[in-house]
Amino acid sequence: MTDPTVAEPWVAAPLTRLKEDARLISGVLLYPSGRAVGQFGFANAADVMSICALTSAINASARELGRQLDGKPFYEMHHAGAERQVFMARATAGAQEFLFVGVFDRESSFGVVEIYFAEFQKALERLHPEKQATGVGPSGDFEGELNRSLDALFGPIGKR
Amino acid sequence: MKALAQVVAKLSHVPGVVAAMIVGAKDGLIVETSLVADSTPGGTDPRKHTAALAAYLYSKVVRASDAARLGTPAFMRLEAERGHIFVVGAGDVVVVTIVTTDANLGRVRLEMMTAARDNS
Repeated sequence: MTDPTVAEPWVAAPLTRLKEDARLISGVLLYPSGRAVGQFGFANAADVMSICALTSAINASARELGRQLDGKPFYEMHHAGAERQVFMARATAGAQEFLFVGVFDRESSFGVVEIYFAEFQKALERLHPEKQATGVGPSGDFEGELNRSLDALFGPIGKR
Repeated sequence: MKALAQVVAKLSHVPGVVAAMIVGAKDGLIVETSLVADSTPGGTDPRKHTAALAAYLYSKVVRASDAARLGTPAFMRLEAERGHIFVVGAGDVVVVTIVTTDANLGRVRLEMMTAARDNS
């Protein structure tokens, strides 16, 4: 298993711990805008780009669905496939919000992932640098933001 | 099949049993649980962690037992400094108890095996 690649160094340790403790196959930490912050388990930028866009859209849809069905947004989702399972949840650090999506198989379980995700959330709260709490909201340039974060994770296009 | 709440209630009344739980074998989520005497409202529920990790550990024990060609494990006992965790498989669920060091381990084991057999 490869170590996480990150756009922001402070998330590297919590991501590594989450990956190892929860026995995740792959995972991406991103801003709700779709900008990637860190990832593990993916070898190319195109996969991460798709996951960021989809996770961002799923999160927005789930929140709205939650509001309509339950009066409050849904923040956590779990899909159990035949072989692999997907866990998607929101994490906060100070005023900043993050989304995390992770994939696991029979080597782990939903209960175990939930436990270690709670610890991951606490680590983000503890390690989050105050200065970065602003300026990461949607700028309107979704594609540009996504590409910049992918450059940070995989290197500029042409060198990936 | 006995109601799961009944199984948990019966196990939790065995002397020395601090908590009894029925946990999903695959997802590690609590299906039914007894109350924990020293749990604090609003605090982290230790049962959730114990349930998930005990079910996870049991799944590894099943694999180890299978690898050693011993068949399905009948009973798992984890002895710690201040007590024990017992796990018995019962189909799609596992029965988990947290037990004090001075408990009658034989009786707890017997009650768990009976509960698992009745619920398989």
